[in-house]
Amino acid sequence: MTERYDAIVIGGGHNGLTTAAYLARAGWRILVLERRHVVGGAAVTEEVLPGYRFSVCSYVVSLLRPEIIRDLDLARHGLEILPLDGTFTPLHEGYLWRTNDHSHTLRELRRWSRSDAEAYEEYGRLMLEMARFVKPILSIVPPDPTGLDPRPLLPLAGLVRQFTRLPEDQRAVFVQLMTMSAADFLDQWFETDALKATMSASGIIGTFLGIRSPGTAYVLLHHYMGEIDGAFRAWGIPRGGTGAISEAIASAARAHGAQIRTEAPVARILVRGGRATGVALESGEEIEAGLVASSVDPHLTFLRFLEPDALEPAFLSEIRRYTFRGSSGKVNLALDGLPEFTSLPGPGEHLRGAISISPSIEYMERAYDDAKYGRYSRRPYVDIVIPTLVDPSMAPPGKHVMSCFVQYAPYQLAEGPQAWDEQREAFGDSVVAAIAEFAPGLPGLIVGRQVLTPLDLEREFGLTGGNIFQGELSLEQLFFNRPVPGWARYRTPLRGLWMCGSATHPGGGIMGAPGRLAALEILRSRGLGDRIRELTSVGGPGSGEEAAA
Amino acid sequence: MIVVGGGHNGLVAAGYLSRAGLRTLVLERRERLGGAADTVELEPGVRVPAVAHTVGRLRPAIVRDLRLSDWRLSLVQPEVRVFAPQPDGAAITLWGDPLRTAAELRAGSPSDADAYLALDRQIRVLSGFLARLLSLTPPDLRSPSLGDALGGLRLGLGFRGLARSDARLLLRALPMPVADYVGGSFRDPAIAAAIAARGIQYTGMGPRAPGTTAVLLTDSAGTEAGAAGQAVFARGGPGALAEALANAVRGAGGEIRTGARVEWITSRDGRATGVALESGEEIGARAVVSGADPKRTLLDLVEPSVLGPSLAWRVGNLRAEGAIAKVNLCLSGLPRFSGDTLEDGERRIRGRIVVAPGIDALERAADDAKYGRLSEVPYLEATIPSLLDPGLVPEGRHVLSVIVQYAPYRLADGGWDARREQLGDRVIATLERYAPGIGGLVTARQILTPLDLERDYGMTGGHPYHLEPGLDQMFAWRPLLGFAAYRMPLERLYLCGAGAHPGGGITGAPGANAAREVIHDLRGRR
Repeated sequence: MTERYDAIVIGGGHNGLTTAAYLARAGWRILVLERRHVVGGAAVTEEVLPGYRFSVCSYVVSLLRPEIIRDLDLARHGLEILPLDGTFTPLHEGYLWRTNDHSHTLRELRRWSRSDAEAYEEYGRLMLEMARFVKPILSIVPPDPTGLDPRPLLPLAGLVRQFTRLPEDQRAVFVQLMTMSAADFLDQWFETDALKATMSASGIIGTFLGIRSPGTAYVLLHHYMGEIDGAFRAWGIPRGGTGAISEAIASAARAHGAQIRTEAPVARILVRGGRATGVALESGEEIEAGLVASSVDPHLTFLRFLEPDALEPAFLSEIRRYTFRGSSGKVNLALDGLPEFTSLPGPGEHLRGAISISPSIEYMERAYDDAKYGRYSRRPYVDIVIPTLVDPSMAPPGKHVMSCFVQYAPYQLAEGPQAWDEQREAFGDSVVAAIAEFAPGLPGLIVGRQVLTPLDLEREFGLTGGNIFQGELSLEQLFFNRPVPGWARYRTPLRGLWMCGSATHPGGGIMGAPGRLAALEILRSRGLGDRIRELTSVGGPGSGEEAAA
Repeated sequence: MIVVGGGHNGLVAAGYLSRAGLRTLVLERRERLGGAADTVELEPGVRVPAVAHTVGRLRPAIVRDLRLSDWRLSLVQPEVRVFAPQPDGAAITLWGDPLRTAAELRAGSPSDADAYLALDRQIRVLSGFLARLLSLTPPDLRSPSLGDALGGLRLGLGFRGLARSDARLLLRALPMPVADYVGGSFRDPAIAAAIAARGIQYTGMGPRAPGTTAVLLTDSAGTEAGAAGQAVFARGGPGALAEALANAVRGAGGEIRTGARVEWITSRDGRATGVALESGEEIGARAVVSGADPKRTLLDLVEPSVLGPSLAWRVGNLRAEGAIAKVNLCLSGLPRFSGDTLEDGERRIRGRIVVAPGIDALERAADDAKYGRLSEVPYLEATIPSLLDPGLVPEGRHVLSVIVQYAPYRLADGGWDARREQLGDRVIATLERYAPGIGGLVTARQILTPLDLERDYGMTGGHPYHLEPGLDQMFAWRPLLGFAAYRMPLERLYLCGAGAHPGGGITGAPGANAAREVIHDLRGRR
């Protein structure tokens, strides 16, 4: 091959595509290489059963960075996000239903606790303030606090300055958000068990932690940070499933001249003279490039695609220490009709948002206990969405698809990860049974199902350990420690090799922020810092402009 | 000066204040001084450490400054630190000398022996850095002043003093679960558990809880103890430390009254003016220094209007519920632990006997507490202080002091008064697995439930560390962000107990640090 690219992006997930689109927009010749037959990685829509289309893995969007939507003009490339409204928690006695209609939610909460209803307003206001303060962190390239160069610390200093300007109560709450468990944090405001269980559930998604584990409170903010087209707090599903996001970004990348090849699995990264010079595909084909940006996880990038002698042993041992304990599974159901919940029968608005199987704090903790000892939760936490209610195109007329995100499903079963192959269907059954406790008619409606265990996520989607965030979002693996201390700025110790996936700050979820920040950092390293301002509507990484906004 | 509470931190504070020439009065509700540093006589002539049993974290600077050796404080430490008997009859021994430990481990697994040495070195480096923090007043994030900036700078310089790889390691290690920090290194889970147990000691957390590595490293800070931890005893029991401190206070001109319960802290124009006793007596002072826990100090002793609703809400939310109980046994003879072979005599059981058969076992013990139950199989740390300090008992007799986890303050059903004997029975049943026949040696027992710790020792929520040592309640936000520099919301009211930085345990550090701030304030305005 004589083709030569300015950059090759390994992996056509939403982050890889975002990096590709930004670099292509800067005029670079870009090639994206995707192992599967379809782009999107874990943000993918597939017709698994005839006529039924599933957002196979990730299923909702809330934190997709608005600057990416603007910079890449994703609306023009077909992205349309349909709002979801509310969270419905069925209980054995009654239900809890919160929606965006504030007065409705307060009426609902008052049925459970007058003081909770009062606290809910105050809590919401406070969290909104916190979200405004924290949001800029998502757009900062993490500094190395142990480094000798003070310049990267400047954006951090700006944050510290803003921190000292917060009212004292808010400073204290910020510290709590960074250090407490979600359940302990919420205990301060609320008494209704189901409310605390449901709210704190967001703190454990994708982690190997329970709602009483320190460090889970922070994710409570994400709900308030979510924004779509500038609308604060909204969240939703893309028309056509989460794959539509990837399609839109891919379309934007192509429009700027990027090439995207599917079914092109990378076998190794080529190294010459101490720098990455391209990749070799499993087919044997070698492709050269000025640099390589890897959006796959560090395990694949450094331990699989490179020879051990390409990197320092100390760095490799850090990479080996990076943890990937997958804890989630996914069950996608094709339904003949809508499920009916005993506590609020019939179809209705309550089915149009999230349906959360999280009846109590003890239920959530016991689900976690199972996972700690190497079993999937006998009675799991399930986060359910029925996308066909807002986007009927996902199933044949009158039929429905139901997306069930499940925790806990530990990759490392007591019998080892391979045991998932024998336990897959039993796991699927336990998920259906957990929902059927509250919607007994569900099993009779199922016309087909897809069960994804953590082992499947690893094999099919290249997510090591089945971890949906390409590595745990635990405190010791965040910000300047992500993926490993000293290498949180998208660079790697191998010249010409960059990281741009969820294993870098600010981590997983359909955010696109790692892909964007990596692209801007790559351009900056080439002395193209000036171009960043043209490429992005809100300044460069860590410019602090968002913080001031 | 009035010091509320004659626990070891209150006495340390009083010692420093008296030495600085300030007229100081310590008021203790109980008849005995020392708080949790207490020795009780269970049977005639048989004395046991009532709550805390080792004192190895006491800051050496305090021993020196208050000349505690002159006041007959005598500390002893055996060569052994930890003896961890296992259900299969084997045992892990951690010696003060890491090479000796590694040599023993090497017989079972050479890689574990190497891992032990590596971890021991790492804990020494990281806890050596943390030791600097113990005597530092945390920066006041409320109004970052020049002084705070300088403190921060010193901290930063200390940080830069660490090798870069160690600094990175520290940043990563602090929020980690101790199960990950320690557990990843060893093939034999028994070794991991014997070390990791210090990360959950005195907390309500299991080894998989993030932040328990910080507890382990804090416990190691300033002790030179490495992976094995310390096993220092005060001759005469922890109460002897209280006596030495009390003597130091009196020697420096301070006054101490026992049986004097403080009812409230008096104030005028937002400034503490003294205290009122239960007896009705009022005593004025230029400053009040409280060794009581933050909730008792701010919610019970101070008038509600001083705090205001928002601060009162924050104090009310402090996590102060403990999960620790204490069982003390008088024994007619020395128990025999499996794994402690005859030729060793009793050399292996002179330190801390740690009943923690694996990380999962510790985690399961913590699980029970989450649901408001006493652990089915509790984690135990036992000591036999009479081995090193025979003066505690008549000849031939022994005492066994057992810290029990988890015994949650709030039980799902029933109260602790009805469960006290069940707790004692469960501890003896657990010990019986490792020291068969121990139950038959028991001649008397004392059981302290979390409720007893609250009622008898005045720890709100029964937490021996006053506040849970979680990541959300440490350093610049212990007890509360904005009030970590020992100065409380009421002017001239200071906190000097375990609820302040650097937290619980017999260190004396909160007391010494608080006294330094009091002296600074009073001198500055004289």
